[in-house]
Amino acid sequence: MNSEKKIFQMSKINYGNKDCVITIELGTNAVRVFAYNLTGNLIGSAKGAYPSFHPQADYSEQDPEQLFITMLYVLKNFLTEKVYAEKYRVVNICFSASMHSLVAIDKNGAPIGNAITWADNRAKQEANELKSNPIGKTIYEATGTPLHPMSPLVKIAWLKNKDKERFKKTYKFLSIKSYIIQQLTGEYVIDYSLASATGLFNIHKLKWDADALAYAGITAAKLPELVSVFHSAGKLRKEYQTSLGLSADTKIITGSSDGCMATLGAGVWGEEKATITIEDSGAMRVVGRKILKDEKQRFFNYVLTEDYYVSGGPTNSGGVIFEWFANQFGDFKYAYDIDNCIEELLNDASKVNAGSDGLLFLPYLLGERAPIWNANARGVYFGLNINHEKKHFVRATIEGILYEMYSIGKMLEERRNIKSLSVNGSLATIPFCSQIIADMFNKPVGISKNTSSVGLGAFLLSATDMGLYKNLDEAAKSVEFAETFKPNTQNHPVYKKHFEIFERLSTKFSEEFEAIANSQNKND
Amino acid sequence: MNQFFLQKGESKELEQFAHIIEFGIKKNNSFQFFAVDESINNCLRIYYVLEGKFEWTINDCDYILYPGDLVLIQPGCRFSRQSGVLDIGKLCWIFIELEKAKSPEGMMLGKWTSFPANEILTIGKIFRLCNTPVISRIKEAERILAGIRYELFYQQVGYVTRTNQLIDELLILLARKLTLHNNTHRDFPKSFLNLEQTLRQNLSHQWTVEEMAALVGLGTTTFTEKVKSYSGFTPLNYLITIRISEAIRLLKQNNLSVTDIALDVGFYSSQHFSTTFKKLTGSTPSEFRKKNISNEQD
Repeated sequence: MNSEKKIFQMSKINYGNKDCVITIELGTNAVRVFAYNLTGNLIGSAKGAYPSFHPQADYSEQDPEQLFITMLYVLKNFLTEKVYAEKYRVVNICFSASMHSLVAIDKNGAPIGNAITWADNRAKQEANELKSNPIGKTIYEATGTPLHPMSPLVKIAWLKNKDKERFKKTYKFLSIKSYIIQQLTGEYVIDYSLASATGLFNIHKLKWDADALAYAGITAAKLPELVSVFHSAGKLRKEYQTSLGLSADTKIITGSSDGCMATLGAGVWGEEKATITIEDSGAMRVVGRKILKDEKQRFFNYVLTEDYYVSGGPTNSGGVIFEWFANQFGDFKYAYDIDNCIEELLNDASKVNAGSDGLLFLPYLLGERAPIWNANARGVYFGLNINHEKKHFVRATIEGILYEMYSIGKMLEERRNIKSLSVNGSLATIPFCSQIIADMFNKPVGISKNTSSVGLGAFLLSATDMGLYKNLDEAAKSVEFAETFKPNTQNHPVYKKHFEIFERLSTKFSEEFEAIANSQNKND
Repeated sequence: MNQFFLQKGESKELEQFAHIIEFGIKKNNSFQFFAVDESINNCLRIYYVLEGKFEWTINDCDYILYPGDLVLIQPGCRFSRQSGVLDIGKLCWIFIELEKAKSPEGMMLGKWTSFPANEILTIGKIFRLCNTPVISRIKEAERILAGIRYELFYQQVGYVTRTNQLIDELLILLARKLTLHNNTHRDFPKSFLNLEQTLRQNLSHQWTVEEMAALVGLGTTTFTEKVKSYSGFTPLNYLITIRISEAIRLLKQNNLSVTDIALDVGFYSSQHFSTTFKKLTGSTPSEFRKKNISNEQD
């Protein structure tokens, strides 16, 4: 970080050293609140979890009121116990949220039913129909969002077809973040960035896309107002000023999506860098002034600000796959819990050579998005011989998850000259995994000094808005790395050789994947 | 164990035990198990399969029972044998009388038990909330039942105390086994989700941390630690977030009174509801409702 003095001189307004920025991340499993001082140092953080409900297979829902109350509760306690206790003053609050959520509200602003999350697959049929419809290609090219059940466009189409009453009663279709901000300030807004993940937003013209609206059967009036990520979403309602102890001057910044914030917070800015995030699921992203075009519609292209795009590919096969493995095959006799058990497994894996002595794993337990975009894909262990032991399976499972990321990376490298990587997320930042990523890509891998790239990204956005940085380029450059993993030149050729087989396997079985998925679905 | 049958009011072995309504071991072909009798409506009925195979319908679910399986039938439970099926086998059963419920929630036992009131309430709640009446492969129950039989028939010194202790032991065993059903140490998020759903279904209940911990099958200390690290909240604060979320939903619907909402979502008074609600949201429930209705007219 730049020195404190320099920072304060740069801004036009005089800020004090007891001023701070709050960032609120509305994630998939929890809300996370961070406080940063104006030099970007973390003052403290707090989180509150909320569940996803699965009333039917393929459904994934959350209670919007619970999200709001959890956010409010965590924020209030955090402000009282940490921020005010240490005599800080809150200058602004910046939001980020997971993408693709959908909340239908009635004309009173009350949610009709639960929020539908990104992980919800109920609109499979609508997604497939749109893909085979010529308008689908036009919509993908205009909106940058892959045609997939995750996309709010496809979810609204599902409501139109399958839940007519809710569709008819809906006054507006919001994202979770829009709902929360509306509760706090009364404004119905969505930033370009989050809007660009809805499948309804034209990323070239920066407005709602006419074709997409027509397909969804709605008008722009049914959607929140489009605003920049820097937009100040009105004043905090009086009652929340009181309960949170904040003044009317506290600026509420709309902010962006968690994916875009993580990219900014990982210091990825400019053509030669990319970031890899692996939590439960994963993604590899690059930032640029141009979108990535792809005949096969494999990339997402999200708008960060008016002149920057975050592009890349998402995978289903992240930490959730390794957690599945640990639950099935980990030794729980001595392990205290899953984390402890995973530690033991990693220990086993480190005793095996790179490449797992020829055991390969296709990690498609949940079907796959990028790069193969095949919901029917299933997991495969391949190349098993009589000398393989349990520890080979452990390592092969981790390598399989990372080969999958590498295959997205190879796609990106066809279009960008990537020289270095930064990683974040619970799985990718395990040193054992970070090193394998470095070896596979044959590129240096950095881990950000900060515990949360999403939180830091939102801080950098706020700080830029306050004039502490000239622009986001400069803000991104301030990110420092705690640790860098250098590629091991002996391992890289081993991974390269195995990856060629992995890549061929991943596309070879499409007919068999379909057959087995059909037979599994019938047994449901 | 050989066949026998003891019944309250008939068998002198039970003279000291007003709370044991029936206790016996019979082959099914020599006994009518489902005789309707008003007196067993306020009983815990426990059946343990010793031999053979039984097919029963309990609360509209069909179960096949094998030796080592135990069935726990609570008051109000619908329970019958499946029609057209011939059960062949040997059963042990015991019916234990409950005190007339003092609160609609609580299970109470007579003075004979050595449980303190809060423990028996917790056990009662676990029984009530468990989603299966059948516990499989619970061999330990057979040992306890054999012990009760031994005490009743041989009546050695201290047999009254010992018999009642064994019944207590049986109830503890059942409660622990039932919570173990829910307890997946490996997958706390899943247990937590189950807990959340149970809490939401019984939101008006005054939950204690002990009850919540028992549902997940953990001790209170471990449970509190795990909830804290997983959710960021203490169990009771987490519960408050669910209560307020549900209250907000109901306030926006505008067809229940604030007092009804307070009780529905588990606040013991509208005063308590109002204070907690205002602390968090800055408005009282009525103010909150007014604001959300005035929006409508905009």
